[in-house]
Amino acid sequence: MRGAALRADAEVVLQERESGPNRRLRLRVEGWPGGAPGQFVMLSPGPVQDVRQDDPLLPRPMAIFRELPGSPPEVEILFKVEGRGTALLAGALPGQRVRVLGPLGRPFDLPQPSDHVVVVGGGTGVASLFGLVRASRARQSVVLGARSADDLMARADFEACPVDVVFTTEDGSLGERGLVTAPLERLLAAGDVARVVCCGPTPMMRACAERAARHGVPCTVSLENHMACGFGVCLGCAAPTPSGRYALVCRDGPVFDAAEIAWEGLP
Amino acid sequence: MIAASEVDTRVDLAGIPLRNPVLTASGTFGYGTEFADFLDLTRIGGFVAKSLTPEPRIGNPPPRIAEVSAGMLNAISLENVGVEAFVAEKLPALPEGVTVIASVFGTAPHEYAEVCKRLAEVPRVAGLEVNASCPHVKSGGIEFGQDPRVLAELVRVVRGAAVQPLLVKLSPNVTSIAEMARVCEAEGADGLSLVNAVQAFDVDVETRRPVLRSPTGLGGLSGPAIRPIALRMVRQAAEAVKIPICGIGGISTAEDAIKFLLCGATAVQVGTANYLDPEAAGRIADGIAEYAARHGFPRVADLIGALEAWPV
Repeated sequence: MRGAALRADAEVVLQERESGPNRRLRLRVEGWPGGAPGQFVMLSPGPVQDVRQDDPLLPRPMAIFRELPGSPPEVEILFKVEGRGTALLAGALPGQRVRVLGPLGRPFDLPQPSDHVVVVGGGTGVASLFGLVRASRARQSVVLGARSADDLMARADFEACPVDVVFTTEDGSLGERGLVTAPLERLLAAGDVARVVCCGPTPMMRACAERAARHGVPCTVSLENHMACGFGVCLGCAAPTPSGRYALVCRDGPVFDAAEIAWEGLP
Repeated sequence: MIAASEVDTRVDLAGIPLRNPVLTASGTFGYGTEFADFLDLTRIGGFVAKSLTPEPRIGNPPPRIAEVSAGMLNAISLENVGVEAFVAEKLPALPEGVTVIASVFGTAPHEYAEVCKRLAEVPRVAGLEVNASCPHVKSGGIEFGQDPRVLAELVRVVRGAAVQPLLVKLSPNVTSIAEMARVCEAEGADGLSLVNAVQAFDVDVETRRPVLRSPTGLGGLSGPAIRPIALRMVRQAAEAVKIPICGIGGISTAEDAIKFLLCGATAVQVGTANYLDPEAAGRIADGIAEYAARHGFPRVADLIGALEAWPV
């Protein structure tokens, strides 16, 4: 049984440009119970204000990028500005308040220290993986992909970790030109990989899961479906399973074994 | 001037005693336990659980939800654990003192009756709410709640099977809500809940597909976008019948809830707002008591139908 989640109006302490369209948001959360790598929060679309704001309406699920101890503790979120909700969130200034619900969801299982684990992140999925990479004692090879160098988030954070990091960009502006699957395939071919862990766009996760399966390597994914609530009541984040049922990304995930997902039915 | 804590917040909804008039709407509150981290369930009047069918239902493929201006669309298709699992697992997990109304659903009147009969001997269920917004196969897929004769038959059958107080939840997708309200009253419903989600549609222009993957692409619109429509319908229904009404539709604040009470609702249900803020219903209940105190109403029940007319 996981610890209780918190609902709080948290104070913005940092709001800055991360890279390209990406932002870094740090929140001071009174009473934050502490999350585990892979868990997420729901954030209000923009700051909470005295006047009512009905549009946009729904909170946004965001990975916990990292937590900073202190009293009160701080929670850091990396997000991409891609719609009205995230544009408003990008305008939340230090001192303003943002509604936080969390920590939510099933976290990653930490791998065995003796294992070689390949961690693959693409787009905003990179933010879900940093906590795992920092907490894990396994030998880790990290592959991070983005459209271009400017789109890549958390590059310096990963480079500061004692792990091998390979970058891929579609335009070749950083690291290898192409997709994350090319370096993943090379790492899998070496034959000593115990597990692949992946978070990014659905086609990327599906491709990584298929490649891992071809090498007989288990794959863990962290899904990024839309959801309205984050705690198992709206049933909007249903992910189809091979048995013909649905798992809820918020409650049963976001972390799943890739074999638990019927990929062809995922939007 | 009285204090908010001195206001008598109790109301009687069709024979269901409530500690305050704020319920939460079926389909937006799970089976109650999901809110345990965020809200003391004895702080609100009660909750209406996810609609129950005789057997478990799996629901539609994703995408099931989409955001629209000041609201959201959903096409979940009544995924639920089934009435047996509700009685055996979900109800016992709830703390004492929580008022539970079961929402009942089926694809034919006898299925509704079956669920009502199963719940008849379950003392934790304080009332029943009939979800009449399902497409009725025999009448060409139109909702039970869209044809007065089909609705009358449903209420008649369910009335015969129900032991607890019986609310009928009305669809807003009708020409005359007053006519539907009168039909339910004539067939013996103890109260009405309105409105359910407004039938709606949206398109993703990048994929040129419906945003939702329900068989028709249609979904239900909920949230603040529908509130003035819901308020109009509650007012028209309240003028048409004597049985009590539970107002539903985009209620996010105490002010919203008070509008429904003033228009004749005995209680309200908070729906989509539970997603944004799982504490919303508690906050709304507190706010109603504060309003009553500020305006000198010793009882929240005194607000029901207290809408003032313009001088002529």
